[in-house]
Amino acid sequence: MTFGDTLRLALNNLRESKLRTALTSLGVSIGIASLIGMVSLGVGLQEQLLGRFMESGVFDAITVSASPGGAAASLLGGRGRAVGGRGVGRGARVGRGGRGGRGAESGAGPRPVLDDEAMAKLRALPNVKDVFPSVRLSVQLRVGAFDSAGGAVGIPMSAKDEGAFRTMTAGAFFANEAEETCLLSLDMAKRIVTEQGADAEPASLVGQILTISYSASLPGNGAAPSPATKAPAAMPGLGFAGMPSLAGVTSMLQVQRVERPFRIAGIVEREPGANLGGFGFASVMIPLARAIDIDAHVVQSLQDLLASTPAAGKAKSYTSVTVKVAKAQYVQDVEAQIKEMGYGAFSLNDALEGAKRAFILIDILLSLIGSIALAVSSLGIVNTMVMSILERTREIGVMKAIGASDADIRRIFLVEASAIGVLGGVAGLALGWMVARAINIGANIYIERQGGDAGNLFSFPLWLTFGALGFSWLVSLVAGSVPARRAARLNPIQALRHD
Amino acid sequence: MGATTVRALNGVSLQVADGEFIGLLGTSGSGKSTLLNMIAGLDQATDGELLVFGQDLAQMSSEALSVHRQRNVGIIFQSFNLISTMTAAENVALSMMFAGVPRAQRVREASALLTSVGLGGRQTHRPKELSGGEQQRVAIARALSNKPRLLLADEPTGNLDSRTSQEIMGLLRDLNEQEGKTIIMVTHDAGLAHRYASRIVTLLDGAVLSGVVS
Repeated sequence: MTFGDTLRLALNNLRESKLRTALTSLGVSIGIASLIGMVSLGVGLQEQLLGRFMESGVFDAITVSASPGGAAASLLGGRGRAVGGRGVGRGARVGRGGRGGRGAESGAGPRPVLDDEAMAKLRALPNVKDVFPSVRLSVQLRVGAFDSAGGAVGIPMSAKDEGAFRTMTAGAFFANEAEETCLLSLDMAKRIVTEQGADAEPASLVGQILTISYSASLPGNGAAPSPATKAPAAMPGLGFAGMPSLAGVTSMLQVQRVERPFRIAGIVEREPGANLGGFGFASVMIPLARAIDIDAHVVQSLQDLLASTPAAGKAKSYTSVTVKVAKAQYVQDVEAQIKEMGYGAFSLNDALEGAKRAFILIDILLSLIGSIALAVSSLGIVNTMVMSILERTREIGVMKAIGASDADIRRIFLVEASAIGVLGGVAGLALGWMVARAINIGANIYIERQGGDAGNLFSFPLWLTFGALGFSWLVSLVAGSVPARRAARLNPIQALRHD
Repeated sequence: MGATTVRALNGVSLQVADGEFIGLLGTSGSGKSTLLNMIAGLDQATDGELLVFGQDLAQMSSEALSVHRQRNVGIIFQSFNLISTMTAAENVALSMMFAGVPRAQRVREASALLTSVGLGGRQTHRPKELSGGEQQRVAIARALSNKPRLLLADEPTGNLDSRTSQEIMGLLRDLNEQEGKTIIMVTHDAGLAHRYASRIVTLLDGAVLSGVVS
């Protein structure tokens, strides 16, 4: 007996009792719908949450820090290597830094330094997409009436495609890294408009000027003066802005107050992640090259000032750099390699793994709840099959008498049970999908009223679709196996006598 | 090949030759139906030997017995035992399905068999749309479908009126005489047995009482 024959026979039998088949399949479909509804909710929530994290660029980033020994070496070996002029190309810096770094290492052993050479090495690791220093500045921020101390972070041009910058509330990403433009976080923009007292939209800030001011060592104090640090004579409206009474002191300490205007290019809705200048609140973002430039001259402590002797300048090594990998899955591997190189490395990968584990637990819990309905409906299959076999006992006897083997009979009933399961599975998928859509629409209306972002709470990946079909088939097969076995073992003589 | 040997029931051996038409008589409980079921491979002897075409059915697995039922014997029941949800043609084709005959061939042969038993125009009728005699003809066509050499009939006319009974018995006699089918027929109607069977075997309490050649 071929499978096609078995299938045809089984389907004919099901067609003979349409109502019973339909009701049993409906039971299965409710079970499957509740199961996939639950699982798709788990998956959907996971995608919503992890997806946002992923977009923020947190999970494909590794924060690399120099060990204390490395930092010391950089101070000693970084002689004469001050950050140079504006818009220095990365390649040029790498070349120069490379020689300096090697010199240091040859003297003090393989002590890791986070300089340009180290960054080149990191960039050369497999699956590394980008490497850039984390530059975070403490500066004074001023926009009209708004005047507050705050942080500014350097953002590499390559971050343009990051999720945080793909969906801008207003304006656009930096056009180029040479221009003095900045981005504001939405929170910061709201703070500014509130401070200004104007009943304006945050978006109205785009195009306005944000003045960043900081204390800088005097030109000639460190190494070559940066052309970007404009002399007051050359650039009216900039330059010495310190209070007159302090002018003497600052000149004694060779510190000047520098103000630089940054045009607000855009407002970012989502907080950029850890990779963009440390794990902190990034309220103002400026192009990385500008940040490095300012960082080279800013004086934030007495130590900075002492370090900025004409001989040493400011050693161009960074306390931390960010390594971006091509895909989040490479993080662990790359992180291990960086640690082998002697650096401190940290990523949120472990936290992500923890979150994933938690979601697996939630998924299991949800699918267990969803499975209850399926378990009940599998009893429905058992019941239908037992009834069907009871009704057709005589028929089974006839089939055996004219040559059906036990295996033939068992297969016929297994295929019947499977057909009920698959039919119920398909209907259940449709039902589950429709119910999920309905709940999603309702939930999104509520979420949007509460000021949240609409999204898909339910997700139906392909594995879930086929998994649900396979599972409903499996359940029906298991449910049908005992009745089918009983049918196969029927004594033909007794079966033929059955009414 | 050769003799269809049946050696059974209380140590009494019964031999059936190829081409015989045996009328198995006996009161109810005499064991005649049990004997027929054993020959059919539906029931298995707990002790002794039952040789059909040289094979001992008593020693066979249930799998082997199903092959025996498929190939070697065709069974005709008193209550026809057609499957009510299937058409006449489907009923005839069913046993060929279990024997693994391809679908196209099944359809063709079932049609030819129905025509040969006089039901050429009733192919797509379901059992309840057929008379008792017609149903038994379908059952006979089904019994013939895998070309067995041995036909086993258990009270084939028990549910039929006398005129239809004559027709069915005539059909069985034709199969015996023209196609050389060996037939073992259980009946309690001694007159019918004497009229059509070539040999009468009477059973009483599980033992062969007499074997008369008519």
